[in-house]
Amino acid sequence: MIYNQKKFEVIVCGAGHAGVEACLAAARMGASTLLLTGNIDTIAQMSCNPAIGGQAKGQIVREIDALGGEMAINTDVTGIQFRLLNESKGPAVQSPRAQCDKKAYQFRLKHTLELQPNLQIFQATVTGLIFKDGMVVGCRTNLDIDFLGQAVVITTGTFLRGLMHVGQNKNEGGRLGDFSAKTLSGSLQEAGIELLRLKTGTPPRILGRSINFSGLQEQKGDSEPTLFAFHDTRGGEDLFHVERNGERRLGWQPGSEQISCWMTYTTPDSERIVRENLHKSAMYSGEIVGVGPRYCPSIEDKFVRFADKPRHLLFLEPEGRNTNEYYINGLSTSLPFDVQLDLVHSIPGLEQAVLLRPAYAVEYDFAPPTQMFPSLESRKVENLFLAGQINGTSGYEEAAAQGLVAGVNAVRKVRGEDPMIIQRHEAYIGVLIDDLVTKGTSEPYRMFTSRAEHRLLFNHGSAEVRLRHHANEHNLLPENRLRRIEDKVAAIARWQTQLETEKTKGGTRGDHLRRVQTPTDLPAEFMAQPKEVREEVLYRVVYRGYLEREERQIEKLKTVEKIKLPADLDYLKIPGLRRESALKLQQFRPVNLGQAGRISGVNPADLSVLMVLLASDKTPQP
Amino acid sequence: MSFPTDTIAALATPTGTSAIAVVRASGPHVSALVTEIFGEKPPPRHAQHADYRDASGALVDDVLFTFFSAPNSFTGEDTVEISCHGNPFIAQKILEDLFARGCRPADAGEFSKRAFLNGRMDLSQAEAVMDLIHARSERALAAANQQLRGALGRQMQSLISQLVNVLAIIEAYIDFPDEDLPAENRQSVLDQLKELQTGTARLLATSHYGAMLRDGIKTVILGEPNAGKSSLLNRLVGRERALVSAEPGTTRDYLEERILVGPHALRLIDTAGLNPTPSSLEKRGMDKTMEQAAEADLFLWVLDATRPLPALPSSTAGRLSSTNTIIVLNKSDLSAAPGLSVPTGYRSAAVSALTGVGLEKLRALVARLADSFQVNIGEELIAINARHAYSLDQARQCLECASAKLSERSSTELVASDLRGALDALGQISGKVDNEQVLDRLFATFCIGK
Repeated sequence: MIYNQKKFEVIVCGAGHAGVEACLAAARMGASTLLLTGNIDTIAQMSCNPAIGGQAKGQIVREIDALGGEMAINTDVTGIQFRLLNESKGPAVQSPRAQCDKKAYQFRLKHTLELQPNLQIFQATVTGLIFKDGMVVGCRTNLDIDFLGQAVVITTGTFLRGLMHVGQNKNEGGRLGDFSAKTLSGSLQEAGIELLRLKTGTPPRILGRSINFSGLQEQKGDSEPTLFAFHDTRGGEDLFHVERNGERRLGWQPGSEQISCWMTYTTPDSERIVRENLHKSAMYSGEIVGVGPRYCPSIEDKFVRFADKPRHLLFLEPEGRNTNEYYINGLSTSLPFDVQLDLVHSIPGLEQAVLLRPAYAVEYDFAPPTQMFPSLESRKVENLFLAGQINGTSGYEEAAAQGLVAGVNAVRKVRGEDPMIIQRHEAYIGVLIDDLVTKGTSEPYRMFTSRAEHRLLFNHGSAEVRLRHHANEHNLLPENRLRRIEDKVAAIARWQTQLETEKTKGGTRGDHLRRVQTPTDLPAEFMAQPKEVREEVLYRVVYRGYLEREERQIEKLKTVEKIKLPADLDYLKIPGLRRESALKLQQFRPVNLGQAGRISGVNPADLSVLMVLLASDKTPQP
Repeated sequence: MSFPTDTIAALATPTGTSAIAVVRASGPHVSALVTEIFGEKPPPRHAQHADYRDASGALVDDVLFTFFSAPNSFTGEDTVEISCHGNPFIAQKILEDLFARGCRPADAGEFSKRAFLNGRMDLSQAEAVMDLIHARSERALAAANQQLRGALGRQMQSLISQLVNVLAIIEAYIDFPDEDLPAENRQSVLDQLKELQTGTARLLATSHYGAMLRDGIKTVILGEPNAGKSSLLNRLVGRERALVSAEPGTTRDYLEERILVGPHALRLIDTAGLNPTPSSLEKRGMDKTMEQAAEADLFLWVLDATRPLPALPSSTAGRLSSTNTIIVLNKSDLSAAPGLSVPTGYRSAAVSALTGVGLEKLRALVARLADSFQVNIGEELIAINARHAYSLDQARQCLECASAKLSERSSTELVASDLRGALDALGQISGKVDNEQVLDRLFATFCIGK
């Protein structure tokens, strides 16, 4: 039967970190939105470790906040430990990180969705898509109810033909205890979308009271927590801008009552156990075909590939305030359960540990992301958007960022408007999406600060300043917050000018600051500014030379980013283009000259040829 | 479409020796450049005669230059055309100076591309322009590949590989702060940077040798009036090229001839004699001699064996050393004066320019000295061109900044920024180095991940 009460503007399939941001963004833009999830009780579940942020990811979360997303505020009010990483490496690469209460995190998000106007949530497993004239027009479900929508966002995570491995034991499912979406893959392939396999893994969970903490090193949170959301521009009265009067949701004062993590190490015994049982590991016995991430190796990989390293660091992370479950960060494995038990017991502090859930590896389908436009719309199927692990990424933050962008662009598409494209030089989100659609990925893609050529511009505190024109143009933030952001921008500019012009001994205050690096005796009026303003002003003054160099490079890039390439251009018929480049361009179909230049094998002379061609108005059509 | 940022420069005439060579620069900084170099900006489209002095103030050549203001130029941008003497070395010098002043080497067909995009060519010419870009870039690519297959390519690969190593270390500590990495060792990174700087400097040093290879080794014959310099030139050239007489100071201007000595091409330059008490006419000739001496690679210092050792003007004397000078004791057919003693350490040959005795020995000495100019890196000969030099110099500057930042314990994110600059610069020679390569190295080096 067709659910005939309503034809939705946007349907989001999947309620993980990508799905929730997608449906919230769409609904907040005023589109009638449906969220379909296989299990309402696991909305925004943290399938792997109970933490948000960290290197580059922390900046992404702040960018999500600057675009009206939910991840930052949800982390702040359900976080149980906050740390600012990289304090010594320089302000641009400092990143906030938080341990979260896993259940509180998902309950608060579920509640947020329930309260969101324009959003309908329904529990059903999507079994296929409905196509018409090369466009997607709706979804089929396991309940035999079909839903019609003008645009569909797919955020399947690890659920597409998910297959879990514990040694030789195999279970179908995207996560321990959950189902596997088996038929949706076929539907996507039918529509011409290529699917490949990836693999990821997760470590065992253990019971806290079975851990002997004496002798383990404690890792405490920062006494002054660095939060993710921009509380300065929310202005108290609308701290939670989706909340209305009288609503009382789970959460607590951000940064209060922090809980510690603990550190321990593997032992020579651990190594022996792993080595003796290597042949039983799903990954080493050839059971797994999917490619796993290099930055998140299994313990088997660590011992084999870095044999000279005597021991490996492990973190014991609490999963929440109201649970005694701990996550062993660093002990991902696909060894059989009995070996896992021995392995865990060989670790100091865990000699008596009780396992609550085994470690496992999971294989799943993903759609190589070069099949998408930078808007995250499929090139093969119109009105179909993809976000999260289905695009080959890894990480809650990367997923949430894509979900947000896909949700916004689904609405833009339905309304016949140009998509929101965040550029590489604007934000990590821009780097993420550009890397995906331009280069693709062969392992689960994780963001690193080193992927961003302009990372000096991406200090976490500047996310609102950098992205405000998107928020403004696409109406992603409440009016009063946008106004406060503009006020902040003005204050930063004013103080920057003042410090650069005000004379002090031996030059301007700016010169002095660049010399001494540590600010002293600044005007009282400046010190009276909010912390967010002061930090940004000092950053810009002290790093001025470097930031100006970045800006100059970006100015050059912008020229080519603006030159659009027609979608139907026949590259093979362009005179003067090298055959190798023509084939690459025909395959990747870049949307502008800037993207063309980032495709490997396309050189500056090819871009020159294209530039001349476009100016001549002689573009060959197929 | 406009290109607001870049000013490009290149040789507009074919390379090689010709009557004149034209260097062209185009872009928004041209107007300021003209004033900076020539001290004035003549009205557009007026050829003007002037001295071209490089950024350090040294005279390169006297040139004719013409300024064209946008949009009335070939490219439609502000443009300057500089006509210099048709010696490839001079044109090269001017180009290198323009690069040092902020221009960048033009890409293949870039002047035509700009002309087209700025509406200075008919739309019907689009295909011609595209073909031109294609053809030139193919040729440049072929030439570059040819070079990169050889010793230069291997040197570049080794530099890039070292640099990627250093960057991977720096990035590992930035991107994986919570990992159990070995303790940070700034000194070891500094040592590796030092090696990289040395490697870059060594390659850069071959740039001048490259010019010597292409254009010949600039060899200046100098000495007192009537020491027999012109006779020596005639002897070496093998014909009566220079007017000779018994009268001192017969040569007023300098003369240039190309000769081969063994495998080496020499630009042999005969100069006016250096007289401690010159007449005003002699003085003008001597000024030119000293200008030539300032840029010489090799000196043949001709001494009259019958007279005592003369004193040289200090600016010229300062350039002479045992590594670039051969003393030619002329008139050896006459008896040597007892007072003359050759400065120690110098190679010398007793010759008679009149009879030709001793000439073979002199040639052998010149060939040996020229051999020693060859900059050897490993076993093979490398010589880089101006475009390579431009990129290597950028890399060198970035590496220096990175070292300084590291020594003064600045944030490593700034060190990484400079190292990336160096990597991009090297990538301009042998192909762009992707971020992914740094990550590959990082994951291969460190056990990372939880």
